[in-house]
Amino acid sequence: MGYELPLDMIATPRRIATLAAAMVTLLIMADRDWAQDEMGDVHRGKIVYEQYCALCHGEQGDGNGHYGEDTIPAPRDFRQGTFNWRSTPSGSLPTDADLEKTLIKGLFGTSMSSFSASLTHRQRLDVITYIKTFSPRFATEKPEAPITIPPEPPYTVESVTRGAAIYKKVNCAQCHGDEAQGDGESADDLTDDWGNPIVPYDLTEGHLKCGNNGSDIYRVFITGLNGTPMPSFADSISPAEAWDLVHFIQSLSPEYPKNVTGAPSTSIGEGKP
Amino acid sequence: MGAGDAFFASNLRRNDAMTIPMRYGLKVLSASLISGASLLAQPALADYTVEAVSNGGAIEGVVKLSGTAPKAAPLEVTKNQDFCGQSIPNPVYSVGKDGGLQNVEVFLRGITRGKALSTNTISLVNEHCMFNPRVQGANAGQQVKISSNDPFLHNTHTQNASTNATIYNIALPFKGFSVTKPLPALPQLIKVKCDAHAWMRAWIWELDNPYFATTGDDGHFTIKDIPPGTYTLVAWHEAAGEKPTSVTVSAGKTVTVDIQLVAVKQP
Repeated sequence: MGYELPLDMIATPRRIATLAAAMVTLLIMADRDWAQDEMGDVHRGKIVYEQYCALCHGEQGDGNGHYGEDTIPAPRDFRQGTFNWRSTPSGSLPTDADLEKTLIKGLFGTSMSSFSASLTHRQRLDVITYIKTFSPRFATEKPEAPITIPPEPPYTVESVTRGAAIYKKVNCAQCHGDEAQGDGESADDLTDDWGNPIVPYDLTEGHLKCGNNGSDIYRVFITGLNGTPMPSFADSISPAEAWDLVHFIQSLSPEYPKNVTGAPSTSIGEGKP
Repeated sequence: MGAGDAFFASNLRRNDAMTIPMRYGLKVLSASLISGASLLAQPALADYTVEAVSNGGAIEGVVKLSGTAPKAAPLEVTKNQDFCGQSIPNPVYSVGKDGGLQNVEVFLRGITRGKALSTNTISLVNEHCMFNPRVQGANAGQQVKISSNDPFLHNTHTQNASTNATIYNIALPFKGFSVTKPLPALPQLIKVKCDAHAWMRAWIWELDNPYFATTGDDGHFTIKDIPPGTYTLVAWHEAAGEKPTSVTVSAGKTVTVDIQLVAVKQP
């Protein structure tokens, strides 16, 4: 047969290169689509929000939902971009992963419950995307780099004992009390950023607001809890001191037998600083 | 990129949040009335060019309260009374000799060129359960040294005065502790509180130009090295609000501007 390929179908090296470039572009686009997918869909997020969140946080994201009227602490007003659980420094916006962590774990001791079972990962991404629309900061600012948490040293009697001394040194008792029961001198009239009453945690109950793992407690010392009186100690305690303080706080929990730590909670009750 | 740069980047557009949504609570609304509604009209980005000012003019004057200062109850000290005492004289309307009003921030608004911005590190001291100074001005890019001379925990919790968004909240756990932090990258009125001692309050007017002064205990202020021209001079007081005055500055001369603010009764 005298059939010849049309000129534009001959695979010259140049055409092969062009084709390869097009395939790479397609791969990148596919990857982009996937990234877009991870960002969540604001319209689907609105539906999730109105079903699960608006009752407390309000349809406008202002924390004025009907069910939230009498809760302490009050439901968070989302319009300032101010969030408790963050991996980022004091004052920073949270990352999306931070917000999903709050949805998965809830905030113990508050009315914010866990949505680990009731929402899929997909739905959580969607609702996070929608919640971020309430604050203009998310459109114009980026979260700061997450803090670094060094590896946890061993939980030992010595570490707990040093932690008890740190608790006194940095005056945790001002709010949390000499016995760490949330009854310090400044405990009774604390307010959040919106003027709503808020209480310091009783650290002896064994459940903490942002989780009980060592790294969860460490993170709170360093990042503080935005919107609450809990400040950042990033400039006032070293990483080693922070881990000792973590171990001391854990030793107060009923989960940790006192004969393991040798540091009963009463060891810090020696009067005011 | 240092920690300070990271902070700046994160705060780069924070002022964009300075609009008050319709459904904002009354608390925020009243805060914005105190801080002055014109805060909202501030440009999002400073448009200021530094140039040499030779033979500039100056503005000086005294800020006074018209009428007598409202009677204000002393601040009730409810924490650490063994150190701070039972009460502290109310510092909001500090009227000195001849009626001069202290802690008024006086500044030019809208000036686009002139002397270099301030670069020194400003100071905010926690002492005897009060912030010192109560009111001061600063420029974006300046640092603030926050320190404590009190033997218990303070926390320095800075917020955008319009939106209440936390800028940062730093523990000052013991006497002698200090830390130096950058101010936000964009001009804004910063409200400072200590959650552990709720009566403590300070204000930092972060401005887009270096022409500012805080009145002393006699109500007097001086602003120097101003290029000749006509400007808006703003006097702001935490309770009496703010008052703009048009001022014309001539080369090499000092113009005297006395300002009267009307007292607003404290709630």
